Amino acid sequence: MRARIQYGGWARRPSRLRRRAFAGALVLLAALWFGTSPVAAAGETPGSCIVEKINALEFGGQRGAEALHVLEETAATHVDVGAEEKFASFEKKLAGCLEAPNPIIPEVTEIIWGGIAFVVLLALMQWKLFPAVKRGMDRRAEKIRDDLDAAETARTEALEVKAGYEAELADARAEAGRIVDAARTDAERVRADLVARAEGEAVEMRQRADLDVETAKRQALSDLQSEVSAIVIGAAETVIGQNLDHDAQVQLIESYIDDVGSQN
Amino acid sequence: MSSDRVSSYAEAFVSVVQAEGDLAAAENELFAVAQALAGSDELRETLSDRRIPAARRQQIVEDLLGGQAAEATVALVSMVVAAGRGSDLVRIIETAVERSASLRNKAVAEVRSAVALSDDQQQRLAGALQRATGKDVTVKVIVDPTLMGGVVTRIGDEVIDGSVRTRINQLREAF
Repeated sequence: MRARIQYGGWARRPSRLRRRAFAGALVLLAALWFGTSPVAAAGETPGSCIVEKINALEFGGQRGAEALHVLEETAATHVDVGAEEKFASFEKKLAGCLEAPNPIIPEVTEIIWGGIAFVVLLALMQWKLFPAVKRGMDRRAEKIRDDLDAAETARTEALEVKAGYEAELADARAEAGRIVDAARTDAERVRADLVARAEGEAVEMRQRADLDVETAKRQALSDLQSEVSAIVIGAAETVIGQNLDHDAQVQLIESYIDDVGSQN
Repeated sequence: MSSDRVSSYAEAFVSVVQAEGDLAAAENELFAVAQALAGSDELRETLSDRRIPAARRQQIVEDLLGGQAAEATVALVSMVVAAGRGSDLVRIIETAVERSASLRNKAVAEVRSAVALSDDQQQRLAGALQRATGKDVTVKVIVDPTLMGGVVTRIGDEVIDGSVRTRINQLREAF
């Protein structure tokens, strides 16, 4: 059964046998790791080292702790120089047990076990981890590549859109410029028309005002003339009426008869 | 009222007056009646008002003309008023006077004067009009003080105006 690969990582659904084999390998790797620690590889601790040194001590026909007791009493008497030297040498050995191991250079056995563990771990990683990591990295790289391609595509599209927008903006600016020019031209034309119309209306108003003034003047003169004539005629009528006596009436009638008679 | 009806009434007037004999006197009486009606809107409207009983209108005519005109003249005017033709009475009388004058081979000259004309003046004016128009005219004088002075004569459609009023009006129009 092939592992189902998920985007951004990997997930494996191994069989039971394969899971067990993988778990056993992990237990073995842990045992090797913890069983080959530097202390275990050396096979001794400071206490065990001291015990070992004491058990290995021989003096005065005694062995072990008895030998150490005899050696200590003998050396304390300062009679036996050899005993003092041996006791001093034994103290140095015990001091050597208390000294710490070299922090830089490990023990040989530790190097061996560590090397074995490293090789096993490297093999396991080479077998299982690296391909998965490589696939993950490949997928990630592929994803990044796809993302970069998509980003590039989007950038290209954005650039195209931007170019389109810039073109539209340029067109809009050009159109706006044309509109502004047209509006300015229209405004200028309207202004000129308004000015011409206003001037025409002003001239017309002036002419009309002059005409009105002239008409009013004529009307006033006519009214005045009518008033004067009415007054004059009324006065003349009154004077004539007062002066038309009988003789004047007779004279008018006679004059009328003479005029009618002369019209043949 | 149509002109035919006016003419018919005028013909009747002339026939009756001619039957009575004195056309000239009847003309003068009818002419005076016409002038009286023309000069009084109230009288003309009263005689034309159909709401007033005919007998009342006839009584008014007889009261006005009784003793001042021939009975035939009064009867003719009363007849027209009773017939409800009072509004046409002036036209009927004018037409009748013109026809009566034409029967006597004369033209009617309506003479308006600010003062009354003497007989001599009327005769000399009639002679002057005859010479001016070539017609034998009979003068009907109407005293009209509104003329102020002078004379206005109308013969048919012809008018000879020598009044002071007309001169003053011409002077007013000239201003």
